[in-house]
Amino acid sequence: MSDREQTGRGIGRLVGRAESVLRDTLLAQGAGVVGAVGRPAERLLWPVAERYNRRLGERFGEVTGLQLLLLVVAFGGLVTAPLWGQDYLRPLTLGAVWAVFAMGWDIQSGYTGYISFGHSALSGAAGYTTGLLVLHLNPGLSLFVTVPLSILVTTVLGLAIAVPSLRLRGPYFSLVTFVTVLLFYRLTKALSEWTNGLRGIRVDVFTYDLTLQYYMVVVSMLAVAATLTYVGRSDVGTVLVAIRENEDAVSAAGLDPTKFKLWSFVLSAVPMGIGGVLLAHVNAGVDPQTFVIVDNSIQMIAMAVIGGMSSILGPLGGAFLFVGLRDVFLVGLGEELRWLALWLLVLLVLVFARDGLFRLLWRALGALGGDRR
Amino acid sequence: MLGDIASVIVDGALISAVYALIAIGFTMVFGVGGVLNLAHGALIMAGAYTYLSLVSDSILASVTLHPIVAFPLTIVIVGLISYGLYVVLVRTIEENVVITFLATIVVAIAFTELVTLVFHAQPYQYSVVPGVLQVQALGTRILYVELAAFVASWGAMGLLWYYVTKTDSGRSIRATSMSERGAMLTGVDVSGVRARTWLVAGGLAGIAGVFLGGIGAAEPTMWLEPLALAFIIVVVGGIGSIKGSVAAAYIVGYLQTATGQFLGQSVRGIMSLVVLVVVLLVLPQGLYGTEFVHE
Repeated sequence: MSDREQTGRGIGRLVGRAESVLRDTLLAQGAGVVGAVGRPAERLLWPVAERYNRRLGERFGEVTGLQLLLLVVAFGGLVTAPLWGQDYLRPLTLGAVWAVFAMGWDIQSGYTGYISFGHSALSGAAGYTTGLLVLHLNPGLSLFVTVPLSILVTTVLGLAIAVPSLRLRGPYFSLVTFVTVLLFYRLTKALSEWTNGLRGIRVDVFTYDLTLQYYMVVVSMLAVAATLTYVGRSDVGTVLVAIRENEDAVSAAGLDPTKFKLWSFVLSAVPMGIGGVLLAHVNAGVDPQTFVIVDNSIQMIAMAVIGGMSSILGPLGGAFLFVGLRDVFLVGLGEELRWLALWLLVLLVLVFARDGLFRLLWRALGALGGDRR
Repeated sequence: MLGDIASVIVDGALISAVYALIAIGFTMVFGVGGVLNLAHGALIMAGAYTYLSLVSDSILASVTLHPIVAFPLTIVIVGLISYGLYVVLVRTIEENVVITFLATIVVAIAFTELVTLVFHAQPYQYSVVPGVLQVQALGTRILYVELAAFVASWGAMGLLWYYVTKTDSGRSIRATSMSERGAMLTGVDVSGVRARTWLVAGGLAGIAGVFLGGIGAAEPTMWLEPLALAFIIVVVGGIGSIKGSVAAAYIVGYLQTATGQFLGQSVRGIMSLVVLVVVLLVLPQGLYGTEFVHE
């Protein structure tokens, strides 16, 4: 073994030891304190959770008392945001839009394991459909026309990408989606008579009332979240996860994996369409830099990874965390350093907590309840 | 018209050699470890910026080397970066294909930001070998840097061929990419082989980076195009096959040069995508490959 390799292994061992020290001392003590508060709280909340489980648990998953508390607090926080966070309405609105993207990515890539680098092409397709309709057809076109059309175009594009590539196994799908984004970006420049190139197309905002706009976006996001959570917990979601774990087993069970993969893409394209329309109206325009570039796809992936892939609500939380860090907490670092810090965080999550931060939190809250079931 | 055709033939032959170099590194790493290294484009970019910093006095004032010294030094440095990437990051997560996949693209994006932070976003022009060769008979002209890229790329491929067919160390790389278990049973240190492959692939990416930056310019987004090209070439040639990569590099290279010349630069990439889709539908295993199967 060469010296360099030994150094590499040495670093690995060092990190491992630091990790175990952290786990044994700090976390153990922390868990003791948290447990002392958490267990009584769990006992107190359990009856409520039990009632929830009986009515909705089958469709949306069972929860423990503390997990339910987390959901309620998060929901309450979102709904009352204009009261406590008037200054943060813009990042919160953007966070909700990106949450739609992250969840849309998750139901396809996170669940089936067919990683797409092309989802920014889908959101771009929705944004550009709205933009082109408004610019070239009729500036006063009603939202009831542009929104469904944009979502339809996104779904068609999604199928156009998915049909040739999803029949194949392994990494081919990712490669095709990656190339698609680059091509889409090129097209926005090549067709600049139509798309105004890098300048983009101006789109009217929904409303100048920021609070109203916030609620429009958040309600859309919650609807997407509820639908996708339901789908993810249904038989379809189970099959999608099974495709990720063992595609042959899915075939052997008499299910056509390609069909389910195509469906997952449709399930994903619709939220991407919704998110694309929302972003176009929130940003008052659509241009390649904020919609199409491959970095945007990677951002969606990053949010899903931070939150926890294949959990829908994890990516939702991940999106708010990511946008919060990006637009509020790390702004002081300056443009490049901020991004560098964000990507390093994603890398750390990938290496040390690949299940995602929010799934860890969820499990920790669940574990506090002890073995009740 | 004749001049156009001649310049397509010459340009295509020259640039395809660099494409082949990029694709070989990418496919070798996949062959031995099943890792699709999406940071491969970032390594190419590292090559361009390392060379730039070494030869130009405007970046690091204290370091100005002659190209003859800077070129091999760049290859070594990028090789070591690639090696470090494997040992520090990829080795700890490589058992999970999806996580590795995502981690390498995050590395690529993070590297873009790092480059922007240090060198800023503007493109840097630098010359590797200055001058233009006029070929009167064909009515076309060749940049010396393209010629140098061609010679260096084929030189590197020749050395690589010698390495993987004639030396034990190289043959163990081929053995591992054919059958990991077989290699292990015959006493090959598979972990060492992987690290060595990353080193070699990094070196090849370094060479490609120096010339791609010299022909175009060094800028923070320059990693995307070569990475997409590497994808397309590797899929057309068959994932994991070196021979396939060289053949496909020439197909894709000629196709790009020809569409660029006759149909306009803006549709250059579209033809490659069409070929990619056709190949995926008709010949999913590529020219010389076996289809990738999850284990």
